[in-house]
Amino acid sequence: MKRRGLLKTAFWTLSAVTASMLPFGFLRLMTPSLKADVRWHLRPPGALKDDLAFVSACIGCGVCGEVCPTRCIKFYTREGGNRINTPYIDPSVKGCILCGKCMEVCPTESLTPTPKEEIDMGIAQIDRSACYPWVDQGICGACVAVCPLGGKAIGFDFANFYKPVVKEGCVGCGQCVEVCPHPGLPVWIASREEGTIARHGAGQRRKWLQ
Amino acid sequence: MMTAKGNFFHIRHLNKLRWVVLSIVFLMLLLLPFIYLYQTYVAAHAYDLLPASEKQIYNVMEKLTSPFVSDPENQLDQIKGNTWSGTLFGLKLSDPLAVVSQAAASQKFYWPFILTGLIPLIFTLILGRFYCGWICPATFLYELNSNLAVLLNKMGIHSGNRRFDRRFKYLVLAVGVTLSAVAGAVLTAAIYPPAIVGREIYYGIAQGGYSHVVLGGFGAGAVFFFTTLLFDLFVSRRGFCRYLCPGGALYSLLGRYRVLRIQRVVEECNDCAKCNAVCEFGLDPLRDSFGQECNNCTACIAICPTDAFEFKFSVKDKVFQGPGHLGRSYRRGQEARLMSEPDE
Repeated sequence: MKRRGLLKTAFWTLSAVTASMLPFGFLRLMTPSLKADVRWHLRPPGALKDDLAFVSACIGCGVCGEVCPTRCIKFYTREGGNRINTPYIDPSVKGCILCGKCMEVCPTESLTPTPKEEIDMGIAQIDRSACYPWVDQGICGACVAVCPLGGKAIGFDFANFYKPVVKEGCVGCGQCVEVCPHPGLPVWIASREEGTIARHGAGQRRKWLQ
Repeated sequence: MMTAKGNFFHIRHLNKLRWVVLSIVFLMLLLLPFIYLYQTYVAAHAYDLLPASEKQIYNVMEKLTSPFVSDPENQLDQIKGNTWSGTLFGLKLSDPLAVVSQAAASQKFYWPFILTGLIPLIFTLILGRFYCGWICPATFLYELNSNLAVLLNKMGIHSGNRRFDRRFKYLVLAVGVTLSAVAGAVLTAAIYPPAIVGREIYYGIAQGGYSHVVLGGFGAGAVFFFTTLLFDLFVSRRGFCRYLCPGGALYSLLGRYRVLRIQRVVEECNDCAKCNAVCEFGLDPLRDSFGQECNNCTACIAICPTDAFEFKFSVKDKVFQGPGHLGRSYRRGQEARLMSEPDE
């Protein structure tokens, strides 16, 4: 008799706990986790380096997006999975101008104020087999002209005023991606660990495209 | 000033004041994304390039904000965010639920963030679950939803009024915080209606997904919130707030020993039970049972025909004081006692 009572309590507790998970499960159903293409999903400047730590620290208030003067910060909504409501920047639509407002306004440690030069959103990569000046299909230099860090992040190849070369100072803000006139975007942002400043060819880009 | 009859300000009017506050908070949430759009247009010097509809937004926002700011691009940053977390004139404020679940998710205490929840916490310790009744932008919609239910009932469409166990929301809170810790993401943010409302208004107006179109970016939260509205309409009145809301649960726990309480004055009460009928949270003011879940919304005060409620500084509810002295059962009891008393 006593055991039956215990079983009953256990059953009701279990079903109550399961039922209380329903709202979370319901939301989870609506936000399937899709793998984001890291080239077009940068975290805002000053973000925690470990993306899992970033997701666990971000409360999804959206204030970083609300202060961004270029409206470049967007939020994972229906495709986010656990990353739902966390911010990202799509440089192919709009790059970051490194104004630093989002870092100042973030209430949590997910975006911490960082000096402009030490920001680490990634590093730009240029496919030299597609970029117009590199394949001698015209003159451009838009990426170099727009770079907010001046000559420290991107410059021209030796003795050539149009072939762009990425330098170590690049913080990955993505302005060069935004202005690149090539429809195939031969410039993209790679994470610091995987990106290099060496010459890149089509093979490199194909690796990223996968 | 706030108790006696006939004075300029009667506490009966607090309910109207509450509606004003709720409306202001909600309108601010509606307005802020438009102000933000305006700010970005100013920053980009884009007026001449805008399509006509967005020029309209620019013009209206310029009219609205120009009396207060001279440098809209930067000065309008003074008020940002929503009730989940926001900046108010340099002061960062966050919902206590955000603080709790973020600490659980990241499994460490980041003091600058925890301190942003301090002011709401102090107010909650004094006023109890007042956030739910006075500020929450979802409450604004939920109460309108309750009014819609009344309207539907008049039209013959029956809205649901099931009752569940009110303690269920504490379980939702516990499960939400645990799941946040397990998943390493602040999951409560995604099911907490005020956070959803603030966020979705902003997404809808200013985000616009990839194409930067206005009014194009509602997320999953909008569907969730709409479902809770239907739940409230057809299953249980104010069901989400009463039985499911994790934030409401946290505020209730924090407000258990709130200092300011509504109490019944038994001498004035006539047992009409209108207070019980109007209470959005299904409490029992008629039997002095407010409990930790009363949000001091003052709806019972506003409806009471005999002004039998007052605000008292006390950390406990009164125990049931018996039937109201103006009511029938009390009078009968008195008569019976008089009859049974021996004559002198």
